[in-house]
Amino acid sequence: MGNCLSHFCSAMGNCLKGSASDDVSLLRGGDGTRESLSSDQIHSSEIFHQQLSESNVPEYYPSPNVRRPLNQLTEEEQIKIAKRMGLIQHLPSGVFDESAKPRECVICMIDFVPGDRVRYMPCMHVYHVKCIDDWLMRSFTCPSCMEPVDVALFLTYETSGHR
Amino acid sequence: MGESSQSSLLLRKQLSELNKNPVEGFSAGLIDDVDIYKWEVLIIGPPETLYEGGFFKAHLFFPKEYPLRPPKMKFITEIWHPNIDKNGDVCISILHEPGDDKWGYEKASERWLPVHTVETILISVISMLADPNDESPANVDAAKEWRENFPEFKKKVAKCIRRSQEE
Repeated sequence: MGNCLSHFCSAMGNCLKGSASDDVSLLRGGDGTRESLSSDQIHSSEIFHQQLSESNVPEYYPSPNVRRPLNQLTEEEQIKIAKRMGLIQHLPSGVFDESAKPRECVICMIDFVPGDRVRYMPCMHVYHVKCIDDWLMRSFTCPSCMEPVDVALFLTYETSGHR
Repeated sequence: MGESSQSSLLLRKQLSELNKNPVEGFSAGLIDDVDIYKWEVLIIGPPETLYEGGFFKAHLFFPKEYPLRPPKMKFITEIWHPNIDKNGDVCISILHEPGDDKWGYEKASERWLPVHTVETILISVISMLADPNDESPANVDAAKEWRENFPEFKKKVAKCIRRSQEE
């Protein structure tokens, strides 16, 4: 794995190094930089930080069945997680209002009530932000249609670019 | 914090729903009334399959992180099936977490999703009884027998059914 990553790094050159350091600081963010974030970002970062280990270090899932505190993640894993967090924040979110179609969040099986924070997936499925974001950190797929979210995201960028 | 209250709420909801509107093919309850994470189910051997006539007791153990993580399922009644190991542990792809597939047999779409409920899990297990998957067997001997010596396989299943009726 080590060789593979270093090969990848050298292939990407400075470009990756630059983005890597940004992403890592994104993972560690939340202590000093909060004031500069929008309320939406603060909300999301609270979600990502809600699982704390006993030593109060946030825990993440480098793969769906592996849970590890931040200080035990490899750089590669941190980059992967930070990228995932960035992509999740690109998914539109909003506040549920009664005119919307779905009645129930199929993850928690609780009816949406006006004012609930919901996330709209590229495939048009809707979930509570707190329900879907935790899942997306483990698996980047829509639980209802199993569409890979990253592919769908790129497709929406492409179509909006042609407009 | 929120994690365990969310999972227990969701499991309670499913339990009361299943009590109100039972689903054909199985019945479900708790092993111990105070622990919502440990379920006992009774599966009726699906009609027109080798398992017809059997009554199979199984336990489901849910993690606190349910529905983000799948439960484990274990048959308590002895059962001979390619996808149930000799300890009774059920090995089907929807109970495996995404990214958990060491051997590459399963598509991500066939694995665990947070929309699965006791009902959808049991429907999958009942369809697995009717239609074993011998590509990734948990009981290699049963899978081999199912492929190569079907009469003997049938005989072992019939024995399990008789025993399950006596329990």
